[in-house]
Amino acid sequence: MTALDIKAPVTARGGGESAGLAAVLLRLHRPALVVWALLVALTSALLLWAHGPGADAAHAEWLRICDGGEPCTWGGAITDYYRARTLAEAVVAVLPLPVAAWAGAALIGRELESGTAHLAWTQGASPARWLTAKLALPAALLTTGSALLVVLHSLLAATAPFPYDWRWHSQNLPSDGALALVNPFLGLALGALAGLVLRRSLPALAVAVAVTEAVLATTGCLRNPHASSPSWPLRLVETGLVLAVAAAAAVIAFRLLRRRTV
Amino acid sequence: MSALRVPGLPRTVLRLHRPALIVWGAFVAALIGWLVWLNTVTSSAGERERAYCDHHETCNILDQLNYGQRTVWVATLVCYSSLAVAAWAGASLIGRELESGTAQLAWTQGVSPARWLAAKLAVPALLTTLGCTALVLAYRRAWSAHPGLRDGDWTSVTTFVARGPATVAYALCALALGALTALLLRRTLPALGVSLAATWALHFALERFREHLWPSVTRVTATEDVWPRHVWQLESGTIEHGHRVAHAGGSPCEGNPAQVKQCADKLDITGYYQVYHPRSHYWPLHLVESGIVLAVAALATVLAFRLLPRRTRAARKESLA
Repeated sequence: MTALDIKAPVTARGGGESAGLAAVLLRLHRPALVVWALLVALTSALLLWAHGPGADAAHAEWLRICDGGEPCTWGGAITDYYRARTLAEAVVAVLPLPVAAWAGAALIGRELESGTAHLAWTQGASPARWLTAKLALPAALLTTGSALLVVLHSLLAATAPFPYDWRWHSQNLPSDGALALVNPFLGLALGALAGLVLRRSLPALAVAVAVTEAVLATTGCLRNPHASSPSWPLRLVETGLVLAVAAAAAVIAFRLLRRRTV
Repeated sequence: MSALRVPGLPRTVLRLHRPALIVWGAFVAALIGWLVWLNTVTSSAGERERAYCDHHETCNILDQLNYGQRTVWVATLVCYSSLAVAAWAGASLIGRELESGTAQLAWTQGVSPARWLAAKLAVPALLTTLGCTALVLAYRRAWSAHPGLRDGDWTSVTTFVARGPATVAYALCALALGALTALLLRRTLPALGVSLAATWALHFALERFREHLWPSVTRVTATEDVWPRHVWQLESGTIEHGHRVAHAGGSPCEGNPAQVKQCADKLDITGYYQVYHPRSHYWPLHLVESGIVLAVAALATVLAFRLLPRRTRAARKESLA
């Protein structure tokens, strides 16, 4: 068996082959796709509710009981708004961890453990193209969903129904802006790398989650939790760092794959 | 022969899951170490700050905040350690063995399915109980060491669990739920996901329902009074026309006592009430919650054992076919 044998059908059919690869990938990971779609739909619904009826009720309650300028206790409507908003932000904030777990275990680790990947590589999908599809398609779907959530969240954040310092949440939860889009890539890339290095689903899952959390915690240290104002240059540096680690992990994954399969 | 196997089976479980054992041991040791660090280095810095703040107009409270926040972090890790147990039990302990067929192989090698499951549950149950007990004892000691620096009262969601046997109950329940979901699904990763979700849902439901697990105390006063100290505030309001009216956002009548009296007469307010749990309700609330969680654990274990014969028959049929 030579490299030529593997490559021949790929070059012959070109684009149709990668479309086939994508279709296989989507069918194989349909449960994950359904879970992601549900998560995006539910979180969007939560954000829309908070932006519409939730904010209206909270604003009315604020005017009714808290507008005197004296300390007051939140009522039900304000608490509901607060809970909905922080829950949606928490979903976006923890997303990289389940992504890492899934990428390490289900996407890469399991296939290498069971030998499905090796079978695929003999069936016309070159290892590099196999990994490209496995990274590009989830990345595209993650970005689409995250972008929707980011847009809805910025809509929500633009109009506050009552005066409250949301900065603390926004600092700790990357729900507004680039970090929310970039952090899931980190989980995906580190998950793929852990899967390729360990070649077993459960160890890859554990290591991927731990390393992703460690990287996010380290880059998050750039933010000072007690600082009074968010610092935009620092936020950019943080986004750049996360992206750089994700890119490095992806490059190492491709290198490792080439060395393994040549 | 079979008499020799009995001690061998737990040993097999221990050897097979040595990585998990090491991770669990390291987790427990690291958390206890962190608590010791917090209560020696961080707490003395915090207490120095507090002493300085007592005598100065402006002062730094960074170390006090660090102590409080980090102690809450430890409580969170102790409280939700059961989630890791659930994931591991669903995936690694049972799910993987059923998926790969190792379990079915073991059942043909003289280990009866019931004994296999019993060993798989008993050994981790013992080790989780030991680890969680150590964590709870360490956390209780730390929590009462520096009340002045503490962040949050006994009512805060994670501290409530981390200070007592509910931590152990949740971990045991996670183990049982993991085994049950793995036996139902017979696949590693789905079992991991479902078992994790089920354990999280149990935590979530009981956190929401916690205040109702023991009858609360209602205090009625003629004039509006401040809350008693260290209570779990549930509801407060006025008594109008003999009916309770809850007031989420403070009192409807404010001002000096004469103004308040005039306003109360106008609104026909005859009294004020407060509904709360005093601190003495911690143990009843906590033990009822632990009991519920243990009941769920027992139910899941029984269901897992009842499901086992069906799995065994299926395995036998497959091996015959």
